[in-house]
Amino acid sequence: MRVKVTTVLLYALALILLVIIAVPIVLLLGLASSESPVTIKGFTLENFNYLRKGILFENDPVYSKLYPNVYSTALNTLVLALGNMLLVVLISSMAGYIISRYSFRGRSTLLGTFLIIHGVPASVLLIALYFMLREMKLLNTILGVVLVKMSVDLPLGVWVLKGFYDSIPWDLEIASLVDGTSRLGAFYRVMLPLVKPGIFAVALFSFLSGWGEYIFVYTFIQSQTNWTLSLLIRSLIGEMGGINLSLIAALSVFYLIPVVVLFVVGEKYLVRVTIGGVKG
Amino acid sequence: MASRRRLMRIAILSLMLIPATLVIVVFMVVPAVLTILMSLTNLDYRFIWEWVGLANYQKFVTDINTLIFVRNTIIYVAGTLAFNVGMGLLLALVSTHIHDTIGTLMRALWYLPRVMPSVIYAFIMMWIFSPMDTGFLNTVIRGLGGQPVPWTFKYYWPFLFIVNGFIGCSFGMVIFSSAIKAIPQDYIIAAKVDGASQLTIVRRIILPLIKWHIAFVVAYQTLSLLASFEYILLTLDGGPGYYSTEVMILQAYHLAFGQYLASMRYGYAAVFVSVLLVIGLVLSIVYWKVFRLRELMAEPKME
Repeated sequence: MRVKVTTVLLYALALILLVIIAVPIVLLLGLASSESPVTIKGFTLENFNYLRKGILFENDPVYSKLYPNVYSTALNTLVLALGNMLLVVLISSMAGYIISRYSFRGRSTLLGTFLIIHGVPASVLLIALYFMLREMKLLNTILGVVLVKMSVDLPLGVWVLKGFYDSIPWDLEIASLVDGTSRLGAFYRVMLPLVKPGIFAVALFSFLSGWGEYIFVYTFIQSQTNWTLSLLIRSLIGEMGGINLSLIAALSVFYLIPVVVLFVVGEKYLVRVTIGGVKG
Repeated sequence: MASRRRLMRIAILSLMLIPATLVIVVFMVVPAVLTILMSLTNLDYRFIWEWVGLANYQKFVTDINTLIFVRNTIIYVAGTLAFNVGMGLLLALVSTHIHDTIGTLMRALWYLPRVMPSVIYAFIMMWIFSPMDTGFLNTVIRGLGGQPVPWTFKYYWPFLFIVNGFIGCSFGMVIFSSAIKAIPQDYIIAAKVDGASQLTIVRRIILPLIKWHIAFVVAYQTLSLLASFEYILLTLDGGPGYYSTEVMILQAYHLAFGQYLASMRYGYAAVFVSVLLVIGLVLSIVYWKVFRLRELMAEPKME
């Protein structure tokens, strides 16, 4: 009988934990489709009207001029996310391979450096990075943010992919070398296809990380034409926070769509990236 | 022939490694050195490098506000750590002891805050715990006939622990649950045969067996928390009131990029960062030794 009670308690606890984490998402959806601008009341899709033309306050010409077009902002966000993803995947799949398969002088130092650098978050370098981007004339450009963001996500990518390369048996590579492929050919034709899950994991993670980025964009970008969705929402919260929560929630739902889709598709890959978790 | 192969090898090595190394040096090592150099100047909005030696450090040590920032940093790191390691452990224990499908679903859902854009997450949390009558919790309380509670004004630290802890706990959760799954079932069955209760098994078998994982998570999270301020910036921004939740790294950010007249003091801001950088580096090296991370770096077998 005692076992039964603990089992019931365990499942009750599990249910509570499941509900707690679902609350924020459910509330966001509720608020986004609420008739009241500040609380959840009734149901309407009016808050999503901006989706038609990408203009936030269509009926209010004064306010609508204050904010950039939602779709061009989303495009900036996409450029940042894709740029980050491509660079991180490209560079870390090469470096991860070498670090996993070659022994050379300075190898463990290099690997250790990646780990330590990853352990100390790059936000501490913001001031110096701001200064450097200013000197390189990359301040206020998406490219500048991509470069910084990519360098922050790179050490994790190298570590994760090194782990994936490590898990592939040497025999496969040796076999292809015996058959006459070059080392580079073996990398390209044998190894890369085998570490696809790792590349997928790193790609997903760096895409989402670029998509959600706030601090770097906020610090390095001034002009509205280069804003990303995080800045647009943040600015709305600052100016409309007390008055129009449901519009902000509706815009957040739009911002969240790719995240949820990719999360559902790739959750089991993403979890494998946790080993170097970035956020507090 | 042999020398051609050697040349080829060097070519491959450099071709594949140079991009990564270059990125790390240019965007991580150089800025770190630059930060320390900046802390020795009074660099401000004019962007003139004027060397002032250790004057900024002297100011840092003697300023009475420094104590507030240091104290806040300790409260923030310790509180968030306690919340997120505890929560991570609870999630790992619960999700590995229930039906596997539900357990996996639970871990998946608890991972979501980590990949959710920070502005959205901060926005929802601020609304749930809003001190106004229209905040979610206060709506519920008023619906039940109670008095609204000024959540973020009164309980700002617990609020921040929860906001940051919800994100941080998935890290511990993933590591702990895979460690728990790796424990041989024999131990647990043997204990059950001996009549041990579920709680005794957790306390006497599971916890001792994963203590190194717990230590690792604590160590790693300490480092990242010391320098993370995104969610404080997005929610309370150092408030309410006079520097209530202003941690060191947030103060550095405000000194450099804040919106007030006092900002753009890059030189003085760099002092805060340099102090954190040194603490971070020392901690990393200590952890490196303690957790024998070198073992992770075993040399490849063939070459």
